[in-house]
Order: sequence, then structure tokens, then C-alpha cells
Amino acid sequence: MSQEHPEQGSSSKRRVYPQQQYDFAAAQPAGYSMPDPTQPYGASASPSAAMYGGAHAIPSPAAFQPHTANVQSGAFAPPPGTPGSAVDPPVAPGVAGGMAYGAPQAAGAAYGYQGLTNQMGNLNIGGGGAYQGGAPPGAAGGAHMAAPTQLNQIYNTDLLQNFPPPISDLTLPPPPVILPPGSSVTGNPDPNADSEFMRCTLNTVPTSSSLLKKSKLPFALVIRPYTALRDADENVPTVADTTIARCRRCRSYINPYVVFLEGGARWRCNMCNLTNDVPSGFDYDAVANKPRDRWSRAELNHSVVEFVAPAEYMVRPPQPLVYVFVLDVSVHSVKNGLLATAARTIKESLSRIPNVDNRTRVGFLAVDSSLHYFAIPRKEDVAEGEGEEGEENEWPEPRMMVVSDIDDPFLPMPTDLLVNLSQCKGGIEKLLDSLQSMFAHTVNPASALGSAVVAAHKLIANIGGKIVCLTSTLPNVGQGKLEVRDDKKALGTSREGQMLQTASTFYKSFAVECSKTQVTVDMFLFSSHYQDVASLSNLPRFSAGQTYFYPGWIASNPEDANKFALEFSEYLSQELATEAVLRVRSCDGIRMSAFYGNFFSRSSDLCSFSTFPRDQSYVIEVNIEETIVKPWVTFQAAILHSTASGERRIRVITRAFPTSALLQDIYASADQIAITTYLANKAVEKALQKGPQDARDLLMNRLNEMFTCYKKDLMTTNVGASAPLQFCTNLRMLPLLVNALIKHIGFRKTSQIPSDLRSAALCLLSTLPDKYLIQYIYPNFYNLIFMPDEAGLPDAETGQIVMPPCTNLSGEHLISHGLFLIDDGQVMFLWVGRDAQPALLQDVFGVSSITEVPTGKTELPVLDNQFNERIRNIISKAREKTDAITYQHLYVVREDGEPALRLWATTHLVEDRVEQSGVTYHQFLTSIREKLNS
Amino acid sequence: MAADAYTFIFAILISLVNLFLQVFFTIMYSDLECDYINPIDLCNRLNNYVLPEAAAHAALTIVFLLTGHWIVLLLNAPIFAYNAHKIYTNTHLLDATEIFRTLKKHKQESFIKLACYLVFFFLYLYCMIAALVRED
Repeated sequence: MSQEHPEQGSSSKRRVYPQQQYDFAAAQPAGYSMPDPTQPYGASASPSAAMYGGAHAIPSPAAFQPHTANVQSGAFAPPPGTPGSAVDPPVAPGVAGGMAYGAPQAAGAAYGYQGLTNQMGNLNIGGGGAYQGGAPPGAAGGAHMAAPTQLNQIYNTDLLQNFPPPISDLTLPPPPVILPPGSSVTGNPDPNADSEFMRCTLNTVPTSSSLLKKSKLPFALVIRPYTALRDADENVPTVADTTIARCRRCRSYINPYVVFLEGGARWRCNMCNLTNDVPSGFDYDAVANKPRDRWSRAELNHSVVEFVAPAEYMVRPPQPLVYVFVLDVSVHSVKNGLLATAARTIKESLSRIPNVDNRTRVGFLAVDSSLHYFAIPRKEDVAEGEGEEGEENEWPEPRMMVVSDIDDPFLPMPTDLLVNLSQCKGGIEKLLDSLQSMFAHTVNPASALGSAVVAAHKLIANIGGKIVCLTSTLPNVGQGKLEVRDDKKALGTSREGQMLQTASTFYKSFAVECSKTQVTVDMFLFSSHYQDVASLSNLPRFSAGQTYFYPGWIASNPEDANKFALEFSEYLSQELATEAVLRVRSCDGIRMSAFYGNFFSRSSDLCSFSTFPRDQSYVIEVNIEETIVKPWVTFQAAILHSTASGERRIRVITRAFPTSALLQDIYASADQIAITTYLANKAVEKALQKGPQDARDLLMNRLNEMFTCYKKDLMTTNVGASAPLQFCTNLRMLPLLVNALIKHIGFRKTSQIPSDLRSAALCLLSTLPDKYLIQYIYPNFYNLIFMPDEAGLPDAETGQIVMPPCTNLSGEHLISHGLFLIDDGQVMFLWVGRDAQPALLQDVFGVSSITEVPTGKTELPVLDNQFNERIRNIISKAREKTDAITYQHLYVVREDGEPALRLWATTHLVEDRVEQSGVTYHQFLTSIREKLNS
Repeated sequence: MAADAYTFIFAILISLVNLFLQVFFTIMYSDLECDYINPIDLCNRLNNYVLPEAAAHAALTIVFLLTGHWIVLLLNAPIFAYNAHKIYTNTHLLDATEIFRTLKKHKQESFIKLACYLVFFFLYLYCMIAALVRED
């Protein structure tokens, strides 16, 4: 992909389309100019800053972060003017606030940005005492907080006045974690783990479970152990000397928050307060054979470190990576080209499969109504790792053995079915080349996938590894056979929940079997008919794999083939860890109570992963069992695993959070992104147990509870008769995200979504890392004709493509002559308005009229003009990632085009009604307010 | 001895067996909570006893039905219905993948059944003695 387009000379100007100029004037009186990047008073003013409801003036639009305001010194800027006085009489609460600005803006740029902010500030104060004032310094946290540390302040926002929601909040970092000075043992300024690795729903931890219960906020950790698919893209320090200091009692690892005692001879564990001896090699550099400075040790300076583990941490020597490909060779897969594409992709990616020490092994198994094993003979005279190239023709032919006993599959021969990748590369390539021709004339519609997985498991059970299933047929014979149970009439009813559950217990019980033998099953599903994703996804779910669903995939469509090839190649190249276990430890009185994600819970606090994927995150619910007396608590996640290169390692992620006994501190430091991640996982669990209706109810109830609690206990100001809907500023995106989640394809109330799509969406919702999860719930929406001049071009300093600002996902922004991009991280829509100008169409698509614009799955043509290049840059930038394998399809949607496609695209506009039964976000908020005030 | 007495002796035996099974279940669940046993072993072990327990109880209920002990039959009916429902919906076996999420429910169920069987045990004992006394 072409990320790095050289700028086409600074003189080339953005083309302005006549309609666009016309609309500047037309759009203003309509009143939705606030969030529109075309506002005449300076394009740099970000909508979020302008709409921010806090009374204190923010000098810079980028500086919206009330909770960061000088927490250390405890000072905050007094509000300009007198809060709560002068209310502009004609301004009514609600959207009217936004509308009222239509007039002054249209009158020209008479109001400077600063003036506008002040106006907005006053306006919101009038709306309902937006500024509550901070807690007095020192009051927070009781006696032990006597230090000058002050926790985050609570700020109120009136959600109905702060409308449309300032979506730039979604990309903000979580509320800062404010630890008392000197809490870490070294002078490292930032000993806390990055919020990317671990985030907590409550960045200030309540001291008692009664407070937690009262707050109605969930208490959970979101853990994402890896932030890149490959080690090269990650920067985690390694402790290589195998001196691992751990607490004798609670087994936690030494970290930046311990205390050294007795001149450094002993250390006190920050979790359980036990005093431990410092191990003998701790201050000694075994490589250079001389004493070393203790304070330079990585585990005391960084809270994400990787220890190289000694032999005590191994049950057996680190296993080699093993991949068994289970290929569907029934007529469906041959016809839609899956077999050929998969074989070609595997062949092309053989060199990308992690294989540093030449131990990686692969095996192939084809399945229709019988099992086809392939013996790949080893060529004796070829030396390891060299000499295969150029001699491919001399490789002996791979042999195929067909076993038709699918009820009790067995291995036809003991060797050669699982071969060393380096030693047998030529034979593997030969096999992959011939696969398509072997099965080209098959007419067999059956698939014994279950039996094939059992056979593949037999093949690798003594080593462990990955079973990669690629299938486009419903497994209809053999073990774990499934039936078509897709009942269109049941969709949208209470019976829908059953279709999300597994139809055969085989897929669960076999997942347990896989987990016992360190085997992971990954599913790549391609059916254009019902495939029972709900049942099949259980194998990956409980064996730490993933389900990848390509509905209606067909290789003759170059976009489909390209997407799968790119994703599968990325998938194969990720550096897998094997035989992993994850355990999270914390201080006394805190217990991990529930675990969400794809893995098997081997004991009450131990998650086991046969192989550890790098693109998933996990949610762990936390319980407070005893009152916490410490001023701050630490959480430590440790992942013991074997790397792809055959080392046993422990990745330790430590984070500390302050505690408080005050409800407002808890709310002021709550992290809306983490809460949404937790709620999504919780809702997925509910949907899988009971059905989407219960999941929606759960989301709604949790949100209502928070609002009720906030209103009852934290709104001290007299709100008057108008009764605004107030919530704390750091959580002001939460209602939007919950509303978007309720409208999400996984939970939406509708009878239009096939259960396969729904199951696949639920799989994603419970595994995506927060960054992609939020995008999946609330997609990025770019207005491509009103974007800033620099958008779509490489940044002068970093060389990265600048993305245009996101717009609120509301249909009112879809102006009829516009061009828009909606990107939910899984699929992208390029929306072409019905009145799009011919010049625009010419530039982007190279066609002169809207009827000629190609719709559906496609790619943009490469044209020699800057606008086309910028849009292509933006699209490829949106697809560029180092921490996920997804490559989004691009759908071009014409406003006057195919209704189904248009409807699909508009269901992503989650601030509007989605399908027949939904409510707009504004109505959603109003209904919460009514419920709250009744 | 009358048929009544035999019925209740049979009932006492069955409820003793079930009582011990429930104690076993409860102990196993708390073992799981304390990580003395892993969920796979637990499920494999307990699943062997789920059906026998339900079958024993069902047999007893049917005996009561046939011998016309309406009051004890009525008392046993809820448990019988509950077991039948679980078996009918195929949710009677423990699922190792979900066990930690459902452990609380299982423990509760086990405790309630334990209490029931204990009460029933003494009830049957009383009934048996009453039957024997009536006999004399």
C-alpha cells in the first residue's frame, strides 16, 4: 500500500467544489454548524472544545482535560465571571442551546473563538450549575491522604446541553492516575504501566465494597498483554539474567512499588506487606561479571517487563510452534475458490511463519465427508534450512491417505504427517500447489469438520499448537455435526437467544480437551449460507483462539481474495506465545472474581491459553472483600509463556492506583472507555446465555443505575425545575457508547440480522482491544469534502498521514453533495451523496456522473490528482495497523443506489434511529432524564 | 411388617445415598473454589453422579406415587420437576468451560438439595416408625 505519497508541490491547492461554497451559507442557519469543521470562525477550533460545558475558560482548544488541571498543586482556575448568575434569558436548555448559536455565527465571524467559549460556558452554567467546585484539598481519602496529593476533581456536564456529544473525548487518555509522591522506589518519573497494557475502570479505587456497590460503577481491569503482532513493533524491556525476585507469600513479582529495607538487603512486598530477602544475584551482572547498579534494573524502573524464566518455570522444554491446517475440500470451498486462495496464501506466507530456530512444524489435513491426510516425505539429502530453493522439482510427491472412518478418526501413519517447516519446505510447497487440482472436480457437499479437528488434535496432542480451520461448509457429518437451525421467524424474538448458543456440546467439551493438551483452534469461516458460527465459535472461545468470519466470501471477487490473503498472512506471521497462563494479583482484600475473553479458566484465578494471540484483550472483574487501608493499591498481571523462539518468559504488567473513601473521587477518576469494554463483555456473556434482549436490558439498567447514583449522591446543586441530565465530564461519552452498543449489530433489536453475523459480532465484541472496540461500537466518520488542508497528506514532521477530524455519527451530516467515510475497524463505507458534483466524482472515481460510480465492495481507482490521492491515503492509513490483522473492506455506497447497502451503511450512524425500532441518541438521553426525574 | 414400612425403609436408604452425594458435591465445589481440584476433573467426576442422583430420586418419587403416599409425593414433586426440567433441557451436566461463572448457582442448588434431603430423611424416619407403631 502507498502510505508515503510525496506531496505534490506546495502550490497545488485543494479544489473547492462550487456546491461546497454554496453550502457554507446554506448550512449555517440550519444550526448544525457547531460540530461542522467548516465553521467560519476558524477551522482549528475543535468542536469538543467549543462545546465543553465546564465554566472555566480553556485557553487552547486542544487542552480539554479538566481532570488533568494541576492536580499536584491542587489549584484550579477560577471560572471567569460569576458562575450561576447571568443567564441568557432566551436560551432554553436542551438542543436549543446549540441552535441559538446559528444566528450569531451566521452574522459573520463577529464572535472570536474565546468569546464563544465564554458564552458557551455561561450558557451551561445557566443550564444547571455546571460547575460544582472541587473537593477541598486534603479532604479526599481521609487521614492517609494528608499528603499534598489531590485526586481528580469532579466536573458536571449537562448531557442534553452538551449536544451533540464531543466525540473527540473518545480518543482522550483515561483520567490520570494520581499517586502520592514517592510511591515508587526508583526515581523513574513514570513507573506506572501504560494504559494500553492495562486499564482500570476506576482510576481511583474505592476503599470498601459498600462504597463500590453504592457507586454502581463496575470495577474491572482491561488487560491487553501485547500491543503489537510482532516483537519488533513493541518496546518492552527484558530482564535476561533469570534472577526473579518474588514475594514468598503472595508470589507477586518485584516491581517499582516495593520498599527496600535494611540497607537494601530485604524488600517489602507492596501487595501483602511481607518482608522478603533480596536474591543474591540481584545486584550482580552475570554477563559482565561485575556488580551492577540495582536502580538500573528494568523491573524496578518499568512496570511492563519481561523476565526470562529459569527451568523451574517449565513443565517441559518450550515446545516448537505447530500449525495444522484443516482445509475444507468440499464442493463449496472448491467452487468459491477458498481452497486455492488458502493454499496460495499459506505458500506465500510460509517464510513469514515465526521460525527463528527452525523448529516450527506444520501439517495439512483436508476434509469433506472423509479425512484426507498428507504425508510430506522428508528429502534426506537436503541440509537443514538451506538448499531447498531451486531444487523444488526434485522433492518427492506428497502422498495422500484417505480415511473414511469419521466417527473414530485415526492417524494412518505415525510419521510425516507433521513435518518440520524448514526441512520440508519444498514438499509443503508442492503439496499446496497441487491441492486445488486434486479436488477440482469434487462434488462432495459434506464436511466432517468436527472429526477433522479431532484428527488434527490427535496429530499434535503431545506437542500442542494451533489448529487452523478454513471452511465454507456447515459441518454436517461426523463428530459434532450440526444442522441448519437458522429460523428467520425467530430473529428478533426471545427464541433468538437459543440460536446464539451452541447446538452441540461437542464444541465445548472438545475445547476443554484442546486446552488440556495445549492446542488452540482458530476458525476461518467463509460460508455464504448458514454455518452455525454460534456453535463453531465455541472451540476458539475456550481454547484461546479466534473466530474470523467472511460472510459471502468468493475468491473471484478480487477484494474478497485480497482481504483474506492479507489478513491470513498477517495472522500467520504473528509471533505466537505458547503454553501461557495469566494470573492477576493484587493487594490483600482484593480478589479477581470473573474473567472475560477467549481462554479456559483452569482454576478460580488462573486463565490458561494454549497459544497466546497478540490481538486480543481480556477483562477481569475485581471484587473488594475487605476494607482497603492502603493509600494506593497495585495490580499485577503476569503472563507466563514460551515465546515463538523457544524461550520461557514472564511478562509482568504492574499498575498502581490511589484509593479513596469518597464517592466523588471514584466518579471523577472513572474511565469511560474501560467501563464500556467491561459492559460490552458483560453484555456478550448475557447475550450468549439469555439472548440479545437481556443484554440490552443489562446495559440499560447499568447505565440507569449510574445516573441514579450520580443524581442522588453527587449533584449537590439545586437543579431547579428544568432538571437537566447531568453526569460527570469524564464519563460523558458513556451514555453515547452504551446507546451505540445497544444499537450494535451484536445486540440490536431487529429481525434483519442473521444469527451468524450476530455471533461473529459477539466474538469480536468480547475480544477486541479497547481502541478497536470503541471504533467498532462508535465508528469513525470522516467528512471528506470539508476536511482540513493537511488531512490525507503526510505530516511534515512524522511523515504519517494526517487523518481528518471525526464527525458525529448522525445522518444530518450526510449532506447530499458530500463524500463521507465510515470506518468501524472491520468494514469501511465510502458514502457518495446523491447530488455529488461531477468534478468531485471525476476526481475521486474518474467518472462523470453519479450513475457510473461503482458501488459495493471495491477499491478506489488510482487517479493522478491530489484529492484522489488524499482519499486513498486516508483509506490506507485507516487500514494500517501493527496490532491487528484486520484489513477493512471498502464499500462504495451511493445515496441513490442499492437500498440494502445504503441501509447497512446508515445503521452505523448510531446517533440516529437505527432500523425501525431504535431511538436517536437525544431521545435516549431524554428518556433517561424522564426516568430519573419520575 | 407392612408395605408402608418397607416403602419408608427404601426411602430412607435412597435419601441417605442422595444426602451423601450432595455432601460430596458441596465438598467438591468448595475444593474447586480453593483450587484443590481443576474444573476438568471436577466435571468429569461429578457428571458421573448427576444422573444416578436424579434417577434415584425419580425412583423414590414413583414408588411414592404407586403406593399412594400423597403428602410425601407432593413434597418430592418440586425436586423431581426441577431435575426433569434440567435433563429435558440438557443442562444437567456440569460444563467445565462455564463452571466458574455458574459455581455460585451450583453451590446454592447443592445446599438446598442437601437441606431438603436432610429434612426428608428425618421425615421418612418418622414415617417409618409411625408405620411400624401402627403395625403393632
